[in-house]
Amino acid sequence: MDPNLANNPQLIQFLSQEKERAMANEVVAKITSSCWDKCVDKPGSKFSSSETSCLSNCALRYMDMTMLIMKRFQQQ
Amino acid sequence: MDFSSPSPPMGSGQSPEALMEQVQAQLQQAYAEELIETLRGKCFDKCVTKPGSSLSSGESSCVSRCVDRYIEAMGIISRSLFSQQR
Repeated sequence: MDPNLANNPQLIQFLSQEKERAMANEVVAKITSSCWDKCVDKPGSKFSSSETSCLSNCALRYMDMTMLIMKRFQQQ
Repeated sequence: MDFSSPSPPMGSGQSPEALMEQVQAQLQQAYAEELIETLRGKCFDKCVTKPGSSLSSGESSCVSRCVDRYIEAMGIISRSLFSQQR
């Protein structure tokens, strides 16, 4: 690869931005997969309000749990 | 969709703009393929519970609702995770 290209600041910024986006994407994909299974029984033509709030609670609790698990390992 | 066309080697005497465009296009394709794979699994589980000799019209319409709702669910979840009031 062209060494000048590897040092291009525009390119470096682009790649770190895309990396961040990929990580966010992955988190959303993982959580959607779990919460879909828990919150949606039969997909209808519209989400009910209880499905919507289940999905949003599920996502936030998933993050809370992630913190708990991380803490659990920090205190060995 | 054509998944077979090989892409030219990366970064061979390209401008940074062309390289970024190429990376972006490949990422978009990878994201789309991953989503399709996920939808196949999720919607099959929800909609085709007892596979018969062909897809019934009920199953087909379930699949189309399933795809729409799944994408909507991704939006709901990404908004709860990344919205300001957190």
